[in-house]
Amino acid sequence: MSDVNDKSNHSPTMVSEPVLLVPGQEIREPRLLWSRVIIGIMFALIIMGMTNLYSAAMGTGLFWSQLKNLAIALIAFFVCGWVIPPRHYNTYAYWIFGLVCMLLILVDIMGGIAMGAQRWLKIGPIVFQPSELAKVAVAMVVAKFFHTSRLSRPYSLRDLLPLGAIIGAAFVLIFAQPDFGTAGVCALIAACQLAFVRVNGKSLGIVIVTMLVLLVVAWFFVLHDYQKLRVLNLIYPEMDRSGTGYNALQSFIAIGSGKFFGKGFLEGTQTQLQFLPARHTDFIFAVFTEEHGFLGATILFGLFVTLVYMGLAIAKHGKDIFSSMLAIGMTAIIFVSFMINTSMVLGLFPVVGVPLPFFSYGGTAMIMFCSSLGILIGIERDSLDLFRKTHPFNIGSNGKAIK
Amino acid sequence: MKKIFRSSQFLVESRFFIASIVIVGAILILWLRVWHLQIYRGDYYRRVSENNRIRKIEIPAPRGILFDAHGKVLLGNTPSSDLIVVPQYIKDREKTFDILARLLHQPKELYERKFKAARAQPRFMPITMQRNLSQHEVSIIESNRPFLPGVEIRTTARREYNKDISPHMLGYLGEVNPTQIDDLNAKNRDNPYMIGDLVGKQGLEARLEKYIRGRRGYKVIQVDAFGRASNPSKQDWVLPMVPAHPGANVELTIDLELQESVGQAFSGKNGAVIVMDPRSGAILAMTSQPSWDPYMYQRGMTVEEFRALTLDPLHPFMDKTTGGEYPPGSTYKAVVALAGLEENAINSSKSYYCGGSFSLGAQTFGCHKKEGHGWVNLRSALMQSCDVYFYHLGIELGVDRIAKYARALGLGSKLGLELNMERPGLVPTEAWKLATHKEAWATGETPPIAIGQGYNLVTPLQMASLYGAIATKGQIWKPYLIKRISSPVGQLIEERQPQLIRTTDVISPGNYELVRQGLEAVVMDDEGTGKKARVPGVTVAGKTGSVQVVNLKKNKNQTDVSILWKEHAMFASFAPSEDPEVVVAVISEHDDKGGGGASAAPVAGHILNTFFKLKNRRANLASGATAKPNPGPAKEKTYE
Repeated sequence: MSDVNDKSNHSPTMVSEPVLLVPGQEIREPRLLWSRVIIGIMFALIIMGMTNLYSAAMGTGLFWSQLKNLAIALIAFFVCGWVIPPRHYNTYAYWIFGLVCMLLILVDIMGGIAMGAQRWLKIGPIVFQPSELAKVAVAMVVAKFFHTSRLSRPYSLRDLLPLGAIIGAAFVLIFAQPDFGTAGVCALIAACQLAFVRVNGKSLGIVIVTMLVLLVVAWFFVLHDYQKLRVLNLIYPEMDRSGTGYNALQSFIAIGSGKFFGKGFLEGTQTQLQFLPARHTDFIFAVFTEEHGFLGATILFGLFVTLVYMGLAIAKHGKDIFSSMLAIGMTAIIFVSFMINTSMVLGLFPVVGVPLPFFSYGGTAMIMFCSSLGILIGIERDSLDLFRKTHPFNIGSNGKAIK
Repeated sequence: MKKIFRSSQFLVESRFFIASIVIVGAILILWLRVWHLQIYRGDYYRRVSENNRIRKIEIPAPRGILFDAHGKVLLGNTPSSDLIVVPQYIKDREKTFDILARLLHQPKELYERKFKAARAQPRFMPITMQRNLSQHEVSIIESNRPFLPGVEIRTTARREYNKDISPHMLGYLGEVNPTQIDDLNAKNRDNPYMIGDLVGKQGLEARLEKYIRGRRGYKVIQVDAFGRASNPSKQDWVLPMVPAHPGANVELTIDLELQESVGQAFSGKNGAVIVMDPRSGAILAMTSQPSWDPYMYQRGMTVEEFRALTLDPLHPFMDKTTGGEYPPGSTYKAVVALAGLEENAINSSKSYYCGGSFSLGAQTFGCHKKEGHGWVNLRSALMQSCDVYFYHLGIELGVDRIAKYARALGLGSKLGLELNMERPGLVPTEAWKLATHKEAWATGETPPIAIGQGYNLVTPLQMASLYGAIATKGQIWKPYLIKRISSPVGQLIEERQPQLIRTTDVISPGNYELVRQGLEAVVMDDEGTGKKARVPGVTVAGKTGSVQVVNLKKNKNQTDVSILWKEHAMFASFAPSEDPEVVVAVISEHDDKGGGGASAAPVAGHILNTFFKLKNRRANLASGATAKPNPGPAKEKTYE
């Protein structure tokens, strides 16, 4: 991905823009192309996801309830993209993270229980999953950390220790629910952001070795039996034929029987006859591929890859370190969720509760994914200083009104 | 425009290139996996999903078996064929139900109603349409299968009832109420109920539900488009199967042979019988009549049948052994006698004159023998059930002092059998009347209390417990039915030990002995009212009772009135008198054969006779089998 703003290396589309012909004028508007692509893909994914959910919900109220969630999510998307400039996240990153941690503690203490785990928090009429919000909060904290503690040498383990402690706290709080999937996604988001930072080779080695040791320890002392079963099930599919193995089998039949063109909208027998487990949440990818086939899956993959590349492009051209790291984090949320969900449905990864962005049923997840894209757009707009023009409250970074 | 990744010291721009490769690589792997499933193996999976359908079949767990104390089956299972329907495979619902209605001679609405009740569940889940089909009906359905896609016959375990055991004790099964299913399942998530499941609705079936219910299993089968199971040999996976776990087996204190003899002896009568071991509280047999056919629920009861049962004035659904409250009648005289002795109002020789009636102010209370008993002492008063003697005694004691001893002997409170709706009975006192009727106690109300009429109420269970307490000189044991609960493979889950509620020691053993002698005379003396309860070779002690339900006019007698106006016949007894082993309480309500002595005593006699016959036979068997020269204590020989 080349730097479009580099004047010696214009892309052909840029050249065709008439504004370029005016000498000395800063090129701003064409750069918003990435945001436009993101908006286009997001709406494409939302339309695909909602029609697919309509099919998976099979006449139950889930579709309509998700439609309400979507309305809130779109408002959040607009607010993140057009109202709040990213510098505010920079200012309040630790506060946001602290608030999410408190919500997580509340969940651990008094959260609603569903399917053996305590994940939901009910405040008045609002029911939501703080662990989903934690994904964004973690990305913000990591970005803030590197924004404030810049080093000229590669980071060593000692330098990263405070960050590790913060992420570790969030991880433990989510893990305790127990929600291994979301805890893992949070850790992976932080890891994705760290991947763009120069880290001391020796420290990296130590971290990898420690991780391996922790993994072994976790296997024997921390993981629940059902979690171990899901991992073992990948290696020995016949071990638990009636439980997780049965679900995986039904999922393969659903995906495989879709063939190239799929069975058609509302025609997926595996879905409509309710053979498929967790149709509207974790296994919704199987519903989509059963009804829309290899063609649909390829389009879906293409859209997600493009979305991720747009995110990385925005990250590369961020205004400051915080913006860039945050953009990487937001992109990582989409990418990691997408990867883990699809590989789990395709039988390449243990079954963990990670939603497919814009497809799985769930209000908090929908709002969180839309907000992440909104933040990405906000970062691009900020890098072009568009917030100065359109900020509705006309307030600058230091709180003073801009003339 | 700053270039953060170029200018920064620690952010690495080249990582974007690596990230791109990682992303492309990861997506490529997923894409290849989708290609493998949908294109490479697509035909195979399409065939699996279209031509073969996998169906999960629930395997209902057989309910646990209830055994009697000697290992005989009280309540077992028998296979039954049920008609079920799988909505997913029904092509034309109207037509299918039309055909079914014609084939099985049932109203079509029955099927429509059951179908509608199960709307909420997934379409591949079977709905039970009709239970207990006959062999003939099964063959009719099977031969018409090509016209009935989605209709199946499934064999499940059903309860097999013994007609001599009244359904009140064992209970019955009914389909779980669809509106309560969510509440039920909230309590047992790991073993949920489904629509159409049978649950215990009364008696032990309800009480032991969580033990004897078992855990359903399931198997996954492949079926073709007509719903016929097909061979899964071409598949490369094994279809899952989880066997059903039968419910726990329960050993009761009931003696099946004794229970059957109770059923025979009490046949044609209404009311309740309790046979109990006074030394432990173990219930050996019990019945409540009139009864109803528990099969009605299994095959599906019609509205008319249900209405007829609920409107029956004799309340067939009510368990009268624990829930029926009756005035105790003359059986209460034993309590009054104990109170009198303990309060020194009488002794064994104090006599009153019975001239056929007793006057208190303007009121006159008659004795059941209009010509009078003459001079009566305690023994003859109990023996002949003289009312006048107890009117005198009652007035002397007052209602509260009688109540004190009645409560001490376990009346007026629940005994804790925990079966159906146990009622506490009623022991009236002056304070009670003031509280409930807002009136002071009138002295004229005491004489009826002393002969067990008036406000007094006892349940048959309390009556058995009361005579057990008199027999054992004050021991009140908690009545129990469940001896041992064990898993189908014989692991002990729970075992109940006899539980002594208390020993009533406000009454001295000597006074118990005096009353016991009087009660013995009731049966063993030729002038006694209960001599029809005699058993050859055993001394039986007991007390008759006849309770007027309504005050009859002078010119009417018991034979002319409607059944609901006839008096209750009662008999409470224990034997052998000097070392009691069994208590029998018989309450025959609205008996048309006469009072306690004429009608209830022979029933008790028959039951006691069977009890000792069974006992001797078992003792002989045991001595023969183990070849011991002297198996039991010497007293057992005396009954032979």
